[in-house]
Amino acid sequence: MFPRFTFNITHITGALTPWCRFTVFAVFFPSDLNTMNKEARLKATINQKLTETGERERLKELLRAKLTECGWKDQMKAQCKEVIKEKGLEHVTVEDLVVEITPKGRALVPDSVKKELLQRIRAFLTQHAS
Amino acid sequence: MKMEEMPLSSPDNTKLEALMHDIYSELVEDACLGLCFEVHRAVKQGYFFLGEPDQESMKEFEIVDQPGVDIFGQVFNQWKNKECECPNCNRLIAASRFAPHLEKCLGMGRNSSRIASRRLARNNMSKSESDQEDNDDLNDNDWSYGAEKKGEPNQNSPRRSKSLKPKNGEKVLVKRSKYNHNTGISYESLGPEEVRSLLTMVLCPSRSQRCPQHTDEQRRAVRVFLLGPPALHSAELESHSFDIPDGQMSRLQWVESPNVSPSDSASSKASTNHPDSRRPKKKKTLSLNSGGGSGGLTEGSGSSAQSSLSLSSRKKKPKLSAAFISSIYDDLN
Repeated sequence: MFPRFTFNITHITGALTPWCRFTVFAVFFPSDLNTMNKEARLKATINQKLTETGERERLKELLRAKLTECGWKDQMKAQCKEVIKEKGLEHVTVEDLVVEITPKGRALVPDSVKKELLQRIRAFLTQHAS
Repeated sequence: MKMEEMPLSSPDNTKLEALMHDIYSELVEDACLGLCFEVHRAVKQGYFFLGEPDQESMKEFEIVDQPGVDIFGQVFNQWKNKECECPNCNRLIAASRFAPHLEKCLGMGRNSSRIASRRLARNNMSKSESDQEDNDDLNDNDWSYGAEKKGEPNQNSPRRSKSLKPKNGEKVLVKRSKYNHNTGISYESLGPEEVRSLLTMVLCPSRSQRCPQHTDEQRRAVRVFLLGPPALHSAELESHSFDIPDGQMSRLQWVESPNVSPSDSASSKASTNHPDSRRPKKKKTLSLNSGGGSGGLTEGSGSSAQSSLSLSSRKKKPKLSAAFISSIYDDLN
């Protein structure tokens, strides 16, 4: 999918994460927008909007508060402890933790929190779509 | 931008859902990443495991659940029956009663201070007083009015016992009556003549020059008896006479007229004699004193005593004259 759009600047985008690639396109090559796939353009625009309006930060803060409130953070810390004991206190790296923890974290998010967050994202999208 | 909004508003719900989930998972991963950084930093800094207690301290501070013991394993109420020693009276007092006791014992507070001062005064009395005085003072406590008076009988007691002796009581009595006039005294404990002298002092505090207890006739008789017709030394006599409102004189008076109540005679005479007698007498004294030195030596029966009087210094005069005049009264009677 991506190679099709990144005609002449493959050397730049290769080093970046997928959504950053879109941002780069949108910012630096506005003349190319017309040639871009609709979906990609949409994603880029939405990300930009999220950042510009500050909604991304608000959502992050909300999620963090909700997760702390419902005990997700303590559960995750307990998971971290296990990982650390497994690897040894001195030899643990951030990569180890991320690899071990992220899937569990994603699974452990309570449904209510997930629903609320999705609700807010949808509200944001419909608000900026009109 | 407007071109992009077209596909969003189009009924492409699956795409919208996918977008939403992308954003959501992004947020969750971000939270996870933040947590991972936080934990990693805590581990490397060494404070990650500080939150949880280790096994030793868990055992050490385990909650004790036994009857008669609190959760720390200590016996409760162990201080309940503790006794403290009062620093004032050295008694052992239960800790719960210590504060009220100390308040009373030291005499702080309103009521307690009265009680304490009374008790202190009583203690002092019993220590310093002779036993014959004790009864008096205990009786006095009922009606005397003021804290200072409580201690006063102690100071008076030796003088009082002295005053019973006839001769050297005079000066002491004068002193004491002054004292009493200032501070007040328990009248019950005094003898009748003392009361009399006291009353004259109290009722006529400005001290008339003339003795209030003797009539003018008596005085004149003495004057004639001593000096004869010339009135040279009458001034000196007058000036002496006011120094003798003491036991000797009053006792004489008492014997002479027992029917008259002492307070009546004293008060009436004081009130009648006092105002008119003062001014003329002073003039007299001045005029006569100027020329009085030589004549007195050659005069009548009491000349030897008289000479000693006039030669002696002013301070000694009252004492000597008092004794002297009392002897004269004895002669008259």
